[in-house]
Amino acid sequence: MLSQLNSAPLYLICGIIILFVAIVCVIFLVRAYKAGIAIGMDKAKLKRTITSSVTFSILPSVGILLGVIALSGSLGTPWPWLRLSVIGALHYETQVAQAAAEQVGLTSLSAAEMTPEAFSTIALLMSICIMWGMILSFFFNKAYLKKLSGKKTENDSPEVSEGTDENSGKKQGFGDVAMVAMFIGLVSAYIGSYIGGFVSGEGLFTFKGDLTPIIVALVSGLVMSLFIYLSEKKQMVWLESFSIAGSMLIGMLTAIIL
Amino acid sequence: MEDKENKYLEKYSKNTHVIGRIVSAATLIMLVGAPFLIGSILGAAPNLSAVAMGFISVGLIWTISSVVEFLVYTPMLGSGGGYLAFITGNLINMKIPCAMNAREIAQTKSGTPENEIISTLSIAASSLTTIVVLALGVLMLVPLQPILQSEALQPAFANVVPALFGAMAYQYFRKNIRLAMIPLAIMSLLFVFVPSLISQTSIMIIPSGALTIGLAYLIYKKKGSL
Repeated sequence: MLSQLNSAPLYLICGIIILFVAIVCVIFLVRAYKAGIAIGMDKAKLKRTITSSVTFSILPSVGILLGVIALSGSLGTPWPWLRLSVIGALHYETQVAQAAAEQVGLTSLSAAEMTPEAFSTIALLMSICIMWGMILSFFFNKAYLKKLSGKKTENDSPEVSEGTDENSGKKQGFGDVAMVAMFIGLVSAYIGSYIGGFVSGEGLFTFKGDLTPIIVALVSGLVMSLFIYLSEKKQMVWLESFSIAGSMLIGMLTAIIL
Repeated sequence: MEDKENKYLEKYSKNTHVIGRIVSAATLIMLVGAPFLIGSILGAAPNLSAVAMGFISVGLIWTISSVVEFLVYTPMLGSGGGYLAFITGNLINMKIPCAMNAREIAQTKSGTPENEIISTLSIAASSLTTIVVLALGVLMLVPLQPILQSEALQPAFANVVPALFGAMAYQYFRKNIRLAMIPLAIMSLLFVFVPSLISQTSIMIIPSGALTIGLAYLIYKKKGSL
């Protein structure tokens, strides 16, 4: 069965879809770059955005590749490759595949039990469960963003709604503040979950859970502070593009040493 | 802003939505169609009643979390970035932090055309990186597999997300450390006392974010910034 799931036609189908998405990305990239130049943005800034995003994404992408490898044992390589390249989410994918396998009557997600019917059912369920973001974007992205920017014009200071660099004074718009706050809340939730996991993960207040994520987060935060110090105080601005990736790498190395 | 630029941006934005919608629909059709096509090659169509059952048992949760993701992340990503991110996925562990980081470096303000462009560039570059890394990885699966799955490297890959959020935490907490301590303390206590919520962290982002936005609003009212 696994050899069927790894056959050339499946690679071809999944490869074509991934290629399509890659082309879409290139189109958006080129359009945004051209638009940036057209409205007079600094070319160096645009290039730095691309460099920093690429370096930023390499390590998480390798992590995602591990997800492909993990799933390839039961679903073959092409399908997990597609799923994780296109709207996949590492932490959900395995879970959905597992739940889908149970629904079609497999005792677990494994190559030994896989049948063609089970596979196509699991594949369809994996596609359907995660497609809502695209559907919502299709119908509501435009109206939702329009509504948000409309609200801003009413409530906020004019510089926000005008949105040009020249006239944005010292005063921050609340949109920016809210975005930063949301992100602080998001990061707090994750770091809180590591602390909770350590203290109570193996039973309330036993302090027997995994300490590694906390240490990794601390180390990578410390390294980040060093990077920010160097780029802000020592004028090594080029470091900014690599600061997150570098911090992560050192944080992850700590996990190996521990 | 000059009239010509305004017109250009208007057209750019309009086209972004047209292209975004077309490619979202096309990807959707391919993604849902692929299992049927693969099924016909393998000689068995998907079992639709099992799909329906499976959807009720696991899919409904994803549907709710997708709606939340859409509402929370679309303003962060803008239009172009939004369409792309929801096509390419891996939002929380990559796309969102990536776009936030790019904004941080370019120092653009939310709701501006500059910000829209920076976040689109960032999401597109990030998505392409993943596609290339995965394609190379799949090509070299045979030699890579033993290395990537080796015992020694497992702890590193198990901690990609903590490493990411540790670095981002420093970057964002320093903007207002006293503010950040409140959600951090509350969320830590919550997870300490109710460890069963740890598996629901992606949903717990919502109350945590709402609380922080509320607090930030109070500070903003007073100081006009964070």
